[in-house]
Amino acid sequence: MNRRHWTLLFASLALMFWSLTLTAQELIVNRATPHQPISRNSARLCFTMRLLSWENRLPVKVFVFPDNHPTHRQFTKSVLGLFPYQLRQVWDRQIFSGTGRAPVIVATEQEMIEQVAATPGGIGYVESGANHPQIRILEVR
Amino acid sequence: MHRLAITLPLILCSLNAYSEESFWDNLQVHGFASQAVIKTSDNRFFGDSPDTSFDFTEIGINASLPVNPQILLAGQLLARRAGDMYDGTPTLDYGLADMTFASSAEQRWGVRLGRIKNSLGIYNETRDVPFTRPGIFLPQVIYYDKVRNLMLSTDGLMFYGESYHDDRGTLSLTLGGGQSVIDDNVAWAFLGNDFGGELEPDGVAGLFRFWYTTPEERLQLGVSGALVSMQFEPGQYSPLSAGTTDLFFWIVSFQYGAEDWTLTAEYAGEPIKWRDYQSPFSPDRDVTAESYYLQGAYRLRPDLQLLLRYEEGYADRNDRDGVQSSAMTGGAIPPFNSFSKIWTAGLRWDIDQHWMVRAEYQRHQGTFILSSKENPDPGQPQADWNLWAVQAVFRF
Repeated sequence: MNRRHWTLLFASLALMFWSLTLTAQELIVNRATPHQPISRNSARLCFTMRLLSWENRLPVKVFVFPDNHPTHRQFTKSVLGLFPYQLRQVWDRQIFSGTGRAPVIVATEQEMIEQVAATPGGIGYVESGANHPQIRILEVR
Repeated sequence: MHRLAITLPLILCSLNAYSEESFWDNLQVHGFASQAVIKTSDNRFFGDSPDTSFDFTEIGINASLPVNPQILLAGQLLARRAGDMYDGTPTLDYGLADMTFASSAEQRWGVRLGRIKNSLGIYNETRDVPFTRPGIFLPQVIYYDKVRNLMLSTDGLMFYGESYHDDRGTLSLTLGGGQSVIDDNVAWAFLGNDFGGELEPDGVAGLFRFWYTTPEERLQLGVSGALVSMQFEPGQYSPLSAGTTDLFFWIVSFQYGAEDWTLTAEYAGEPIKWRDYQSPFSPDRDVTAESYYLQGAYRLRPDLQLLLRYEEGYADRNDRDGVQSSAMTGGAIPPFNSFSKIWTAGLRWDIDQHWMVRAEYQRHQGTFILSSKENPDPGQPQADWNLWAVQAVFRF
């Protein structure tokens, strides 16, 4: 391998890395929820099932993929700043002491989009982009 | 009460907005079942463990139903077989109404009413839910299985409040009271026998929990406790009078969770007072029990976890080697009955979202954590003993 090959290899690796960071998971909500971007803390409160209703009084309904789903793992870490096992601990403590609820588990991205679109107050996430008239991508600050 | 009067109409109003979808659509049902096999070198622990015991089974099913976003009804039935201590008769583990008066990105507060699990330490609330425990057995020096019911739950009222701060974390406070749920294991543990009578709750038990969590939930620090009074109701032939036993159980908790490992430590103190039994079997006395443990969990993979723990527990912090209390009984109860020092190593495999299996080894010095109901002859137990156990767990 000569120097040009090395440069090319390096450039393509950098491009790959860059495109990986571009496909960060996105938080999606049903259109009926309030418009403002939400803080990371509020997003955490939603997904730990502690924020019960939106500002317009609609109940928060959370949709997630199974614990070992790659999108779930990535979203939990990069958007919420939590580890998947921590979310599981919080949910289990609430479900099995009667002090809270579990999120609804969906299997595919398609199902995720359909459920959030059909549920006023629904919140979930997708790998990248969700094109549906009833869904809005919410910025997490 | 004033606030309640304002909030209740609001809750009822929001019922309307919520009723567009079917009421029962929001019912959630979860459950679990576990079976363990236990073998000990000596001493009975969860059944006839020296001959291999299968007497540790847990079956639970729960349901929760939000009446609206502010009111949640929830209940769980638990059938638990644990050696001679529990025979598997189903009981109401908890059954409560949770009313949230305020829920926002800044705070949440409300009240729970009914049979409520005591939020003591890190594990008590879900202590009988196998996959929420770090091992097959919780650290016995704090989460005693010989007297679990005393700390398990309360029939009463619990206020809770949480305050969320973006960059500083979460503070939460729980305060409550009610009647603690007591069974005859309590008499065996605190009096050494049931002495032909019954130990019953005397007045209201008080509970508190104060907890701090960093924003990303890496670090948890907390203190929690319970104040319980019991009165002995002697039967016709009981050698004891109507004495009382009062105790204050408090725990300081620490947990730090990184991606691959979690470090947990807890310290518990328990001042106990015995009064007016008027018997050489149970003289008036004040004793403070003390216990602590340090536990590390390491995740080799997300589904594979190693556990290592060391714990120590003392029936009387001023008589750690048990010599004085042994002398009090003229040597009938050996000194090592007053302490336990336990090493635990375990491996857990979460096969899929429904199944989990794990194995555990424990090296024990002392017999403080053993149930005297399971080991009624105080001269019998061995001071140094080993335990092996495996457990299979299903959940949905």
